[in-house]
Amino acid sequence: MSTNERILPKGVSETDFDAALDRFRETLGAEQVLIDSDRLAPYSKIMMAGDRDDYIPSAAVLPTSTEEVQAIVRVCNEYRIPIWTISTGKNLGYGSAAPGETGQVILDLHRMNRILDVDPDVCTALLEPGVTYQQLYDYIKENDLKLWLDPPAPSAIAGPVGNTLDRGVGYTPYGEHFMFQCGMEVVLANGEVVRTGMGGIENSSSWQVFKWGYGPYIDGLFTQSNYGIVTKMGLWLMPEPPAYRPFLIQYQNPEDIEEIVEVLRPLRIAQIIPNAVVIVHTLWDAGTHVTRKEYYDGSDSIPREAIERIKADEGIGEWNVYAALYGTPEQIEVNWKIVEQAFGASGKAKIMYGEEAEKRGGGFSYRSALMKGDMNLQEFGLYNWRGGGGSMWFAPVSQAKGSETKDQTELAQRILGKYGFDYVAEYIVGWRDMHHVIDLLYNREDPEETQRAHDCFAELIDEFAKRGYGLYRTNTEFMEQVAGTFGEPLREVHRTLKRALDPNGILSPGKSGIRL
Amino acid sequence: MHNTTIAPCRRFSSLGCTTLAMIGALMLPTAAAAEPEEREPAEVYRQICSHCHASEYAVGPATITMAVPEAGREAWAEHIRGVVRNGRAAMPAFREAKISDAELDALAEALARGDFAESAEEE
Repeated sequence: MSTNERILPKGVSETDFDAALDRFRETLGAEQVLIDSDRLAPYSKIMMAGDRDDYIPSAAVLPTSTEEVQAIVRVCNEYRIPIWTISTGKNLGYGSAAPGETGQVILDLHRMNRILDVDPDVCTALLEPGVTYQQLYDYIKENDLKLWLDPPAPSAIAGPVGNTLDRGVGYTPYGEHFMFQCGMEVVLANGEVVRTGMGGIENSSSWQVFKWGYGPYIDGLFTQSNYGIVTKMGLWLMPEPPAYRPFLIQYQNPEDIEEIVEVLRPLRIAQIIPNAVVIVHTLWDAGTHVTRKEYYDGSDSIPREAIERIKADEGIGEWNVYAALYGTPEQIEVNWKIVEQAFGASGKAKIMYGEEAEKRGGGFSYRSALMKGDMNLQEFGLYNWRGGGGSMWFAPVSQAKGSETKDQTELAQRILGKYGFDYVAEYIVGWRDMHHVIDLLYNREDPEETQRAHDCFAELIDEFAKRGYGLYRTNTEFMEQVAGTFGEPLREVHRTLKRALDPNGILSPGKSGIRL
Repeated sequence: MHNTTIAPCRRFSSLGCTTLAMIGALMLPTAAAAEPEEREPAEVYRQICSHCHASEYAVGPATITMAVPEAGREAWAEHIRGVVRNGRAAMPAFREAKISDAELDALAEALARGDFAESAEEE
């Protein structure tokens, strides 16, 4: 598709599109309505294995207030213009800032970036969607507040609202982001504004402290969905604890993953270890700072022998557990003894903290920062592992049981190996669940390899689903397929809600496989 | 507070911005607020680029901070603008909602001058 060719939204005439653009310009000012291909170029950079031509926006609009979003939505309803909403647009391995399909108009909320309220007493914040973690972090530091954030790996350049709405996770005790969300303001497809939870009460003081409000709880409807546009979101922030001890536990054998999970689960459920722990495989731990070609030059998946050399040279384990303790120094001492005893029982684990852990290879320093909510993008070193800018996060959920971990790891390694890719993975341990996060890294500049990555990802989805494992999140290229794995009755409920809340289907068509 | 930005101020005068902030304050308990305008190149570099390009992280090449001889600065700045807007391989694309055109121009020039070069002699 030539960039000179004008791309119209599906089913919209040129006359109607021009009329809609004029109305957008009246509302926002001409400069906030982008139609030139140069200005739209940043919206079509993708890392997933799809064709870039399938992800070209026809325009982008940049509102700065809820009222402007309402006005945009009303115009879209009139002219049947589909819009794809993004906030900071840094959902890199899941679709970036690109629209769900070519011809959609990007509703870019990044300039709605006010920090509306931070309350250091009840530890809450109220934010607009364009606020980045870095911006909120700077605000907290400049005002000397004793509050911690919970950024995901893209930290600084991503934001709490978008990440929470996509149900992303972080690494502190507040790692399950949607659990720590409280109150939303949402622009509905008909242009009306609804405030969820306690927000409907005029002058409510409890909007950011009580999630449930009155009647059915609806906040979840606006996550991973296309039922409304969230223009304000409340979240809970963690008070800075008096003491913090990040630690590292290394195991050397592939099968040790079973023991790790069995030891970890009771400690997590009882909150002895309160944070979102990660169990990181060798290639991920090395991949943040080592490139593949230093150890192996073949185009097939990296052999066992090379993995063993990486472990020896870099001082990292087959499995590397990063976790932390929080509280008073006394609490930490007590919990540390429990951790040492539990992991020390079999004699297989190397348990470290402080200087000893820092001296080991791997990611102790950046992991320690992430587990206390500090910003860094060290994890993006993974994008240099194979090079070429291709990345898709394959993230099936498992329960925190060793048997499932062993089964999922073997299955993933077999399918990745079949297509010549590496198992670059970690498990993020929730409360009773785990996100098995695999970064399918490939060279996007090579069309053959890109096609292979596409086929591999599709097979991973299907083969995992056959064994009862579903994804918690996926990129726009595969949303339809993943929605299919969850069954038709659920899809029909999603479609029914879509018809009721957005009868013209103007909001992010195709998000999570949901259309009219 | 200088990192807390209010977008409308990009389009309104500073007087208009204050007025908007006051209206906002009436509608909601507002802790943060005012002050948008263009960020200095060093601030943009700190908030965005440094997380990958600082040598301590080595995620993106640290060489982007090296000074370029005067004759080549314009071309280098143009190259930087192109990579920032379009991305390249693992480098994400940054749209104008994240780094404005004016901020990017100033950033590209500062990088070409070597304003953020890490000096080996200092270490």
